Amino acid sequence: MGRIDARRYLRRWESLLVLFLLVVLAYNITQVSNFLTAQNQANLFQLSIEKAIVALIMTFVIISGEIDLSVASMMALSAAVVARLNESRMEHVLAIVVALAVGLGLGALNGFFVANVGINSLAVTLAGYIGYRGLAQVFIEDNSVGGFPGWFTRLGQKGIIGPITFSIILFFIMAAVAGVILHYSGFGRRVYTVGSNARVAIFSGVPVARTRIIIFATSGLVSAIAGILYAARLGAVRSSTAQGFELDIITIVLLGGVSIFGGVGSMVGVLLSIFLVLNLRNGMTIAGITGNTQTGVIGLLLILSVLIPNLVSRAQGRFRRTPVEPQFQAPRPETVQSAG
Amino acid sequence: MADLAPDIAPARMNGSDESSVVPVLEMRGISKRFGATQALSDVSLQLSRGEVHALLGENGAGKSTLIKIMTGIESPDTGEILLDGQEIHLASSQDAQRYGIAAMYQEPMIFPDLSVAENIFIGHRNRGKFVDRRRMESEARDVLSRLGVEIEVDEPARGLTLAEQQTVEIAKAISLDTRVLIMDEPTASLSAHEVRRLFQIIENLRSEGVAVLFISHRMDEVFEISDKVTILRDGQWISTRPRTELTPRMAIRDMVGRQVVEIFHRERKPPGDVRLAVEGLSKTGAFEDISFEIRAGEVLGFAGLVGARRTDVGLALFGIAPADRGTVTLDGQPANVSSPRQALERGIAYSTEDRRQLGLIMGQSISNNIVLPSLQRFLDKFGLVKRDEERTVAETYRMLLKIRAASVDVPTGALSGGNQQKVVISKWLETRPKVLILDEPTRGIDVGAKVEVHQLIDELAGQGMAILLISSDLPEVLAMSDRILIMREGHQMAILDHTEATQEKVLSLAMGQASELDDVDARAALRAVDGLIDAGSSAGD
Repeated sequence: MGRIDARRYLRRWESLLVLFLLVVLAYNITQVSNFLTAQNQANLFQLSIEKAIVALIMTFVIISGEIDLSVASMMALSAAVVARLNESRMEHVLAIVVALAVGLGLGALNGFFVANVGINSLAVTLAGYIGYRGLAQVFIEDNSVGGFPGWFTRLGQKGIIGPITFSIILFFIMAAVAGVILHYSGFGRRVYTVGSNARVAIFSGVPVARTRIIIFATSGLVSAIAGILYAARLGAVRSSTAQGFELDIITIVLLGGVSIFGGVGSMVGVLLSIFLVLNLRNGMTIAGITGNTQTGVIGLLLILSVLIPNLVSRAQGRFRRTPVEPQFQAPRPETVQSAG
Repeated sequence: MADLAPDIAPARMNGSDESSVVPVLEMRGISKRFGATQALSDVSLQLSRGEVHALLGENGAGKSTLIKIMTGIESPDTGEILLDGQEIHLASSQDAQRYGIAAMYQEPMIFPDLSVAENIFIGHRNRGKFVDRRRMESEARDVLSRLGVEIEVDEPARGLTLAEQQTVEIAKAISLDTRVLIMDEPTASLSAHEVRRLFQIIENLRSEGVAVLFISHRMDEVFEISDKVTILRDGQWISTRPRTELTPRMAIRDMVGRQVVEIFHRERKPPGDVRLAVEGLSKTGAFEDISFEIRAGEVLGFAGLVGARRTDVGLALFGIAPADRGTVTLDGQPANVSSPRQALERGIAYSTEDRRQLGLIMGQSISNNIVLPSLQRFLDKFGLVKRDEERTVAETYRMLLKIRAASVDVPTGALSGGNQQKVVISKWLETRPKVLILDEPTRGIDVGAKVEVHQLIDELAGQGMAILLISSDLPEVLAMSDRILIMREGHQMAILDHTEATQEKVLSLAMGQASELDDVDARAALRAVDGLIDAGSSAGD
């Protein structure tokens, strides 16, 4: 029954996120005098902007009932490709285009294995998680490769409008586009449908495989964009770049109320979750809480986000009887098989 | 297990004086209701030791529900269950197992990676912490030899044939001291030869004093193996007779013998041109040589029992599980499709019987579900959903089909079965199909909604749609169809015009009991049908 009340639950979860966010903001404001200044907020945002960008596409991936563990390795790979090509004096814009193409292509390959070959996305993208970082290592070995053109590092580090960087502007544009696609477009509708019940989708003529490939290809592309922005911000690339980011990104998305089982979630929830996590980490840093404890607190929040809907539906189940349908015969195995 | 046989044998001997009077298992006045459907009302059944008792009835007669109650999966609303004359309560299938009641189904429940011996003894408890593999295997051999079969007990069960897997399940039941064994359609997937061997095992069970409840749609088998036959119809007990006092004709009469109440009166109009033509459609392992035509404005009923493979034909036409051979034409154009998408493009829609798994996205709103297959038409030039249009269309269906919901934003999971069915039909109507395949459109929905669905079918046919109605509800098929195609185990038995179709005729064909055999003595009929079966099954192989 949890599914059925999903929308109402989401709204409730989103309000809870707003509440958390206000509490955290209030604390931060009392502790730091210039906390709410544009400068400070932009800086705060800038520190995790690449994760925030990938969280947008991860929202699509998880709502469609899949997972992509390869995003952070893809970030490292695209950054390494740009660095390597830059070293060999390729025109920098062209190097970026190549890196983006690699992201799109490998993402589509992930999608192909998931959608057409039928391998679980956890397994497929785990292979990518290992393989892409390995490829990055092949390109730049254990070196720290920098020496980017000045315009590139300025793009990553300097504000365009006041303290607001290109990455931040891009993030907000992408967030708006992602929100419109997810909630108002036919494609977004398909993402939910595939994630809720892929069998019903197939029976309804929804191009399920194509939808999945598009999602994974976009995930590869967006990860590549994030990787390149990360390289621009840091000014140098290592093969260990962005290590472990995928778990932070998935955490943000789940904390935003997206169901790990697919079919449920909203862009607003994920955006709130991004702001909450950023400010929470900031507040904890101010309060002198160390990194490990910070991660623990966010983990606790994540557990709550998974636990609360379960508790709610269990409590509801105790009071409300679910309608029972008569079933005179076991489902025919032949029907189930042919649907799979 | 060597110690088991002497253990139970005396126990059974002691009871033998009484057991001629007191049945092993007695179901008394069992009633069970699911929502709007009275699945069983006041059904009684007695099983004696060493008796093979057949349970006959159409789909939906209540057989499955009765079995579920006997095995503790469902509990009855009223009525009692007696074991050796003592009332017992079955709260779970473990309870039933403790009392010595076990069931086996058409698809055996086998752990493919465990050995045969492990599968046989999987349900045993309190046998110590460690496995004595050698002892287990020798006991497994004992049990199997009591059944008169030889299977390697140390091999993994994966390599067994279906028939052997069934044997392992029977052995499992025997090793658990089972006194009542329920066999639900055990022969449905067996070859004629395997059926013979199964019957030999049943004979052995009989001589060991096990009471067997045997459920089969094959009339000849029922007449061969059973001592007594109980017939259910519409959830009610109709008759229990010794096999020797029953003829196939009587059995069929009892199964369909309801008063013919006109459930819906359909004015049949002369149909238009041929819409869908199917020629020699075959799919290995599913169905063989299906040929029919449906004209515009015509309803073709698909009748048959469970396992007749009617749904497979529907799924093939819709491209979910395409056929291997044969041609399909729609309005003269080839329409052999290999995906639902292609089917929908050509104007074929398929409304599934499984609303929950395949029909609706339960967490999404009525309107989302209705526009799902035709979403493309509801997108503007930027690919965004035209929500106003979507709502208007959904509202139209809500009014037209009388979908009872506060609004079209209500998630379909919150609706009753009947209203869910209407949403499913709406969703397919919105694809504006030329051919609509309706698979069990009224299963599990209340009487009021059923009549509304029937009215709708009539209206749609009136508008020139060709409708293929797959239904296990015989009165429904008879009332709604212009013609009726009867299937049995993947084969097309006949196409009857509605003017010549009767419940008895349709059921006789569906059960493989040729109607000319009606008046012949049961034994002679049996021999005749046996010949037919052998011929039929070898053709199917």
